[in-house]
Amino acid sequence: MKKQMNRKAFLQQMAILSGGVGIGLGTVTGKAFGQIPAAFAGNAEAGKVLIIIQLGGGNDGLNTVIPAEDDLYHKARPNISIKKDAALKLDQGMYLHPSAVGLKKLYDEGQLCIAQNIGYPNPNRSHFRATDIWNTGSDASTLWDEGWAGRYLRTRYPEFPIALAKHPMAIQLGSVESLLFQSDQGGFSTVFEDPNLFYQLVSGTPADSDIPPATLAGDELGFLKQIAAASVQYAGVIRDGATKGKNTLTYPTSNLGRQFSIVSKLISGGLETPVYLLNIGGFDTHANQLTQHANLWKTISEAVKTFQVDMDNQNLSERVNIMTFSEFGRRVNQNGTAGTDHGTAAPMFFIGKTVRGGLIGANPNLKALDNNGDLKFNYDYRQVYSTVLRDHLGLDNVRTQQIFNSTFERLPIYRNSPDALPEAVTIELTAPWPNPAIDTTLLQFGIFEEAYISLALFDLQGRQLKLIDSGLRKVGSYSVRFDVNGYASGHYLISLSTNRGGRVTRQLVIQ
Amino acid sequence: MPILSLPNAKHLLARTLFGFSKEQLQQAMGYGSLDVLVDQALLADIKTPEAPNPWVSTIPAQVQQDSGDAAKWYRELTYWWYNRMFSEGLSMQEKMVLFLHNHFSCERDKVNYPQYMYQQNQLFRKFAFGNFKQLVKEISSDPTMLIYLDGNNSRGTGPNENYGRELMELFTLGIGNYTENDIKQAAKVLSGWQVKGLTAVFDPNRWHKEANLTIFGKTAAFKVDTLVDLIFEQKACAEFICRKLYKAFIYYKPDEAFVAQMATVFRSNNYEMKPLLRFMFLSDHFYQTPFHASRIKDPQELMVGSLKALQIKVPDIINLYDMAKLLQMQLLQPPDVAGWPGQRDWISSTTYSYRGGFTDSLLTGKRFNGTTVTGKLDVLAYARSFPNSEKAALFVNEVIDSLVLFPISDAKRQFLLNTLLDGTIAANWSTYTPQADARIVRLLKAIMRLPEYQLN
Repeated sequence: MKKQMNRKAFLQQMAILSGGVGIGLGTVTGKAFGQIPAAFAGNAEAGKVLIIIQLGGGNDGLNTVIPAEDDLYHKARPNISIKKDAALKLDQGMYLHPSAVGLKKLYDEGQLCIAQNIGYPNPNRSHFRATDIWNTGSDASTLWDEGWAGRYLRTRYPEFPIALAKHPMAIQLGSVESLLFQSDQGGFSTVFEDPNLFYQLVSGTPADSDIPPATLAGDELGFLKQIAAASVQYAGVIRDGATKGKNTLTYPTSNLGRQFSIVSKLISGGLETPVYLLNIGGFDTHANQLTQHANLWKTISEAVKTFQVDMDNQNLSERVNIMTFSEFGRRVNQNGTAGTDHGTAAPMFFIGKTVRGGLIGANPNLKALDNNGDLKFNYDYRQVYSTVLRDHLGLDNVRTQQIFNSTFERLPIYRNSPDALPEAVTIELTAPWPNPAIDTTLLQFGIFEEAYISLALFDLQGRQLKLIDSGLRKVGSYSVRFDVNGYASGHYLISLSTNRGGRVTRQLVIQ
Repeated sequence: MPILSLPNAKHLLARTLFGFSKEQLQQAMGYGSLDVLVDQALLADIKTPEAPNPWVSTIPAQVQQDSGDAAKWYRELTYWWYNRMFSEGLSMQEKMVLFLHNHFSCERDKVNYPQYMYQQNQLFRKFAFGNFKQLVKEISSDPTMLIYLDGNNSRGTGPNENYGRELMELFTLGIGNYTENDIKQAAKVLSGWQVKGLTAVFDPNRWHKEANLTIFGKTAAFKVDTLVDLIFEQKACAEFICRKLYKAFIYYKPDEAFVAQMATVFRSNNYEMKPLLRFMFLSDHFYQTPFHASRIKDPQELMVGSLKALQIKVPDIINLYDMAKLLQMQLLQPPDVAGWPGQRDWISSTTYSYRGGFTDSLLTGKRFNGTTVTGKLDVLAYARSFPNSEKAALFVNEVIDSLVLFPISDAKRQFLLNTLLDGTIAANWSTYTPQADARIVRLLKAIMRLPEYQLN
């Protein structure tokens, strides 16, 4: 499935390598590599981070976000349905898995958005093919060998692999590199389990300038050398980031908790890496699924909740967003062994301060199943990916469209989405005064319904320049004095938004 | 027919064994021709080994989990398998056992009881050179497989589709060669089994009640055996299995024309493995130069092979057991039902760096985390086993050529010679000088950390 970096690019990279690094056995510093700064192609929002959690094996969506008021659900699953009274109430008659207590809290705080019934036409029920589809962003009938994140990173780091960015372009915690980060220029991710150990193990890896011959074996050698070069380049950066960064609270001891603890340190330590991939397996629940499924969602819920609080404590939560995905949901009817077989559409979770909390889309329709007894999807999974690229990572329309070879209508997942419903009645922001402002200006706003808010300064291109105020605000009137010293004269926007999708924007002129 | 040259012999042994020592290479050359080597050594039937321990015949019970015995026994079983790999000689039986383990992938964590995994492992040994179709029939009621793919307790009235799907998708036909309905019907035929004690028992009352089922357009009263026969009548079947063998033993991007030739041989020999393997390892195609050193070693080949090449007599198997996990190839615990994908999937920045850590440990006697490694290399004895151990440049070349299959450039040979000499001049080199052992260790570390070393 993976393409190797093309030969020309490889020769160029090796030429750069040989410029500064001869054959040597010591740890090689990154100085020999051409470096591209963290300035990005396109309209990428500097500093935004996407954390993807892969739920391996096919998560049972119906027992995760549960239509517990629907009799058909209980009828289809006499032994494994979860009763209304046991589950955690969301909205529109839907309930969350009882062990996802932390996620429920985030939902109540408006920091969890759940998009329901995500899938694609002619769904594949093979673990392997379906995982490839979700990783590449292709149609069911098209084979792509580049990951969708790999294609995004290629537009963001056009110099790769001739020059390596200063910080890892993508990080995957684990051991086997995912198709998600593959591109025809090679793999974008640095894969490791522990920052210090990674650094220690890489020491002693020789870097050399031999150009592999143009043979089958030479191609494989080129692949190995590319991994070796990137490892040598990034091992020190990652270790230093982890040492500098911190956790403000103790993470659960689960494997996922450990992964989140590392990501927290790396983000807080200043790494500019835009995409992380974490994973948790065990969702292929064909038999006796109740206990196992409960444990999995407990693990996710605890790890994610801890991470969100940690990010909040470190004032990083505006930058970071978490997204879950799984290769498929499961069959509506239980099977004969108190489990569920491979199915189709399922919900996806988005967690963070910038999401519009709540449910998106209609509840699963258990009356109108496909001819296999599976759910029909409501939204295409590429609508979700397109939305994340545009509204979270700040990629422009044209480039987003190029990544999927098609335009997908965006979903109102994020507060900044233009499709989000205005909520002018629940918040108000008055015009800044004085305006134009010379030294300071007074920003006054009213909250008519308790919400998480953020008040920020933007330029006219819509780039956020300064987060002025954020957090949970009770009903009341607020005023904040904003110091405009240090900003160039000109026109700006002040915008107040809430986690429920409301936004009011006022113009500000700085003299 | 291809000739038994030194490069051909190295290529054959590298692909079909878990590495080899200098002595074993000489021994292989001694057979005089490839067909004699393949018939008398590589594919020779060898005795099924003794069980690792009496626990293999104790009745599985929850108490084994609770007491930690099961975990202990899984370790013993794995050590036992490593010992088989070290004592394989020139037979590729154990390589085939691993191939079948990877093909009919089952994870110990789900199976829970090592007794079953032992039985399955011996089943693979029994069929390593045997009839593949018969193996598919037997594995359909193998306790390990029943547990792993949920055939255990599957009732015909509400069958679990897991095994039926993977039987077609991963074990015999490949995706696209069956319909969702074929899977649903096959799941009924495959139901009715329950694991009881050490074996699986078929209970007709738990089977489906339909007189006939239609699968692949054929309507009949199928049983497991006739279902498997029908699957093997599909054209895709022989090709699917041959493609998998091609990718495991020749090159990861299959040549479809040669796969078709293999499939013809496989079909005309009624799915017997031995004639197929013989055809493959005596073909001109297998020995074509571009395929040499084009394969990325799997972790077992890297670990067992390094120990064999260094002639370490008493390997530290605990080191292998622990490192295999980090290198993403814990025996009896493949990642999922598709097994290990192999080749480039072995390598990420994590596993690549662990590989260096492993080869270092054989030379330093310490793992990356400080744990002592037993059976450390006797550096000087190893060096002096080379004919030119006292002539620096020749010695370095001999060591490189015994450890690395990929062609090494003159510049890199010079660099490795400088690594050995470490500032002194070649004329002064002797394994009898003080610090000679430290220099040899440095040389070996450098060779085994070359990316070229990862290829076979």
